[in-house]
Parts: sequence; C-alpha cells; structure tokens
Amino acid sequence: MVPFQLALERFFQDFPNVAALMETAWGWPILECIHFIGLTLLFGSIAAWDLRLLGVAREVPIIAFHRLVPYAVAGFAINAASGMFFLMTTPNQYIYNPAFHLKMLCVGIAGANVLVFYLTIFRGIARLGPGARGPAFARFSGLASLVLWSIVIVCGRMITFYRPEVCQPGDPVGFVATCIVR
Amino acid sequence: MFEPLYLWLESSAFSIWMRESPSMFAFPGILAAHTVGLAFIAGLSAALDLRVLGVARGVPPAALTRFLPYMWFGLWVNIVSGLAVLMAYPTKALTNPVFYLKLGLIAAGLVMLKPLLRWARGGSNDASATTRLLAACSLAAWAAAIAAGRLLAYTCNRLTVDSPC
Repeated sequence: MVPFQLALERFFQDFPNVAALMETAWGWPILECIHFIGLTLLFGSIAAWDLRLLGVAREVPIIAFHRLVPYAVAGFAINAASGMFFLMTTPNQYIYNPAFHLKMLCVGIAGANVLVFYLTIFRGIARLGPGARGPAFARFSGLASLVLWSIVIVCGRMITFYRPEVCQPGDPVGFVATCIVR
Repeated sequence: MFEPLYLWLESSAFSIWMRESPSMFAFPGILAAHTVGLAFIAGLSAALDLRVLGVARGVPPAALTRFLPYMWFGLWVNIVSGLAVLMAYPTKALTNPVFYLKLGLIAAGLVMLKPLLRWARGGSNDASATTRLLAACSLAAWAAAIAAGRLLAYTCNRLTVDSPC
C-alpha cells in the first residue's frame, strides 16, 4: 500500500501548472463550486432512478426513468475531472487521508453495482411495464446506490477534517477553526 | 447594531459545542448532513427541471410529484443542519452579504418550484416556453445557491464578535 501511495503522490505532483492555477485567488473556490454542482447533478439524477427501482412512482415503467441516467454520468464525469484538480494541487492531503480512502472505496463499490446491474438484470427490467415491481436485486441495487452515493458525499465533506498534519481530529483546541476557517 | 445578538448567540452552550467539540458528529457530521440534504432537494429539483425541459418524456410529469417527500426530507435536513452551522459562527454568516445572497437564491428556487409542480400536476406532457424558461431559471438558482454556499468558506468580514477573519 505504501509504495502505491508514494507512486500516486509522485504522479500527481507532476502538474505544477495546474497547481499554480488552483493556488490563484479564485482557482480552488471555483473548482469546489463545480464539484458541488456536479455532485448534485449526479445524486439527483441517480436518486430518481434508484427511487423508481425501489418502487416510488410505480405507475411509470422503470425504463422511462433511464433517460435521466446520462445526466448522472455527466455529473460523475464533471466530478471525476474536477476532483483531479484537487489531487494535482495537494496530492498528499488526499492520498494519506482516511476519509478520502473510504470515499474512493465507496465510489468503486457503486461502480461495481452499476456494472453488475447492467450485466445481469437491466435487459429484463427494460421490458417491464407500468406498475411492475422488478426483481429483488433491482431493489437492492437501487438502495445500495442511494446509500453508497450518500456515503461518498459524507466522506467527501469529511476530507477537510482528516487532512494530515493540518487538522487533527480529537484536538479540542480550535479544531473546527483550524480545519475550516483559514 | 446587532452586536448583542451575535454575542448572545456565540456564548450559548450549543454554539460553543459546535465550535469546540472534537467529535466528528458535531460540526463535521452536521456539515456533511447539510451536503446530503442539498443533494436531495437541489438534485431532485434538477431532475424535475430536466423533465420540464424535455428529458425523459416517457415519464408522466405527475409521477414526479412522488419524489416530493424526498425533496422535503432534504429541505428539512438542511434547515436544521443549516441553523446548527449558523449557530457555530453567527457573526461570520450574518455579517457576510454572500450569506444573504445564498438565502435569497434558495428562496428563489423554492418559489419557482411551486408553479413547476403545478405544471407537473396539470397532466400536459409538453411544457410551454414560459414553463421551460422557469425550469432553466430554477436550475440556475440552485446552482448559484450551491456556489454561494461553497463561497461562504472563502468570504467573511468577521469570524466572531471579537475576532476578524
């Protein structure tokens, strides 16, 4: 794990131009705004699909909601790209951060969930009409997606509070102020 | 003029707990809940706006009102968590114009939600140009509210009653 982290750190340190751009007054704040708007697009579109899998708005065929999925993919692409900017600027704040590790793990599991869903039950679900309940795995997959993306958001927000050597969890002296307020 | 109010809020036990508790369930956890709530209310609003703009035309607009309980869930999580975060640093938020901009944009998003829901319940599958424009403005208002909220971390005049930023 450690050599892998060192290699990652070395890789992401190789973008001094990006880092310089991010360290301008507006660089980091603008990328954060984009990252948060991306998360909303991703979560909102996929939540509508997941909720239908769970049985909400059952009068509508499941497949009708599938047109929203490309917007979730767009939100994911925006966030994968904007996330890289943060990594290229301060790689060690992420690569050695437990909140970031859990976030990436959940992104990975959510991705595996999507892959298994499309490889197994998607074709069957696409043929279902109004009022259909779908197989148990569809409900499981929808719930897993909602829970995983929520954990991703929570972990993303927690990265700030686990920044190595900047913010020490458990340090009662100005804990919040040192993590959040400059 | 509001100094006594800020001072009173800041010296309350809850405010001190929010600022000083080392627990991850205090300030960090509440801030994380605020982001999840945002994803529910703004995210599902965006899904409704997209439907108005012609995405997923196979979904009858009235069906989208089924997502309302989840949107209200997000909104209430954010009202409660937002008040808690406000209590942590009341002077910081209340002396920052960006904070009022954020509240105004959220209000605009919620006000626009009303006619959009009325359209959804109306039973027509295609939205008029006016309703489409409203949906586009709703998307813009939520995006701007998110950006304004994010920028609160970078803009402030005063941290607490007796300390500058």
